[in-house]
Amino acid sequence: MKIMPCPLNGPRNISEFTYGGEFKPMPDPATCSDAEWADYVFNSENRAGVVVEWWMHNASSYWFLAERHTVTDEIIRTFDAKEIFTRRVDFIAKAPAREATV
Amino acid sequence: MATLQAQDFLERSPLYRRHAGASLGRLGESSIVAHYGEYDESAQLQRCALIDLTNLARVGFRGAQAAEYLGGRGFALPEAPNRALTQGDGGHVARLSQTEYLLLGSLRDAGSRIAGEETAWQLGEGGNYLLPRQDSHAWLLLTGEHIAAVMAKLCGVDLSAGTFPVGAVAQTSAARINVIVVNLPEGELPCFHILCDRASLDYFWGALLDAMDEFGGKPAGIDALL
Repeated sequence: MKIMPCPLNGPRNISEFTYGGEFKPMPDPATCSDAEWADYVFNSENRAGVVVEWWMHNASSYWFLAERHTVTDEIIRTFDAKEIFTRRVDFIAKAPAREATV
Repeated sequence: MATLQAQDFLERSPLYRRHAGASLGRLGESSIVAHYGEYDESAQLQRCALIDLTNLARVGFRGAQAAEYLGGRGFALPEAPNRALTQGDGGHVARLSQTEYLLLGSLRDAGSRIAGEETAWQLGEGGNYLLPRQDSHAWLLLTGEHIAAVMAKLCGVDLSAGTFPVGAVAQTSAARINVIVVNLPEGELPCFHILCDRASLDYFWGALLDAMDEFGGKPAGIDALL
């Protein structure tokens, strides 16, 4: 079976992992346009070559990042998301719209 | 004294129907199998046995300040992820990631210390979050000299003593379900604590007993442990 090295748990069978999609930098939801946000949520680059992807190790519910070549399916590197996310991301909720009075 | 019945307790192991005929003991607000036969199960534990500890208390904590919180509550914490430590009271702490800990209760106090930790926790400003595990996970104890050989039939990870020493934790797949395997002996008795999805316990119990069969493995109660 194909083996993936989990940064937390070590080498494991690929059947222990779930694919989580391409890694894409998130635009600031407070300032970006609707088109930018829709592009972030729905569109994938689907590149033939080396990509960075989210993967999860199921048994530990641990999300991490992997560099993988989409043509050869070679896993080049896996690493903890802290390499990219160096500080907490907080979301400021928009003030709720005032309800229309009937 | 009247014989205890699992049906008399609100909290029951998913396996309680399979324990029919076993002698039960009281464990806090639930019951646990004391022994199956009238013979001493100590020799069985040394060879190959499976004990259902699902009714014993367990709970998790996670967050940037979980280690500080648990240290303040008197727990000795493993120094690295996927390591575990037995506590002075016979309970155990497994570290599942940089900031997540799983506390396993002790039979000596019927799990009351860990059950108390779950009720004592309150959401505060700091990053320390409660992870209730009583109803999500089941807890089995696989004992004896053949534990690594039994697991080799079910699990792709090498759990032999050379690569999976005492104090090691493996979060992996066994018999096709997610498990946490913790290698912590009870005194001199080799033991794997195995936590799995509670709803899958009936299946997993059968799969383990099937794998144990060639080693003469049988279910056992906690009397021989104490």
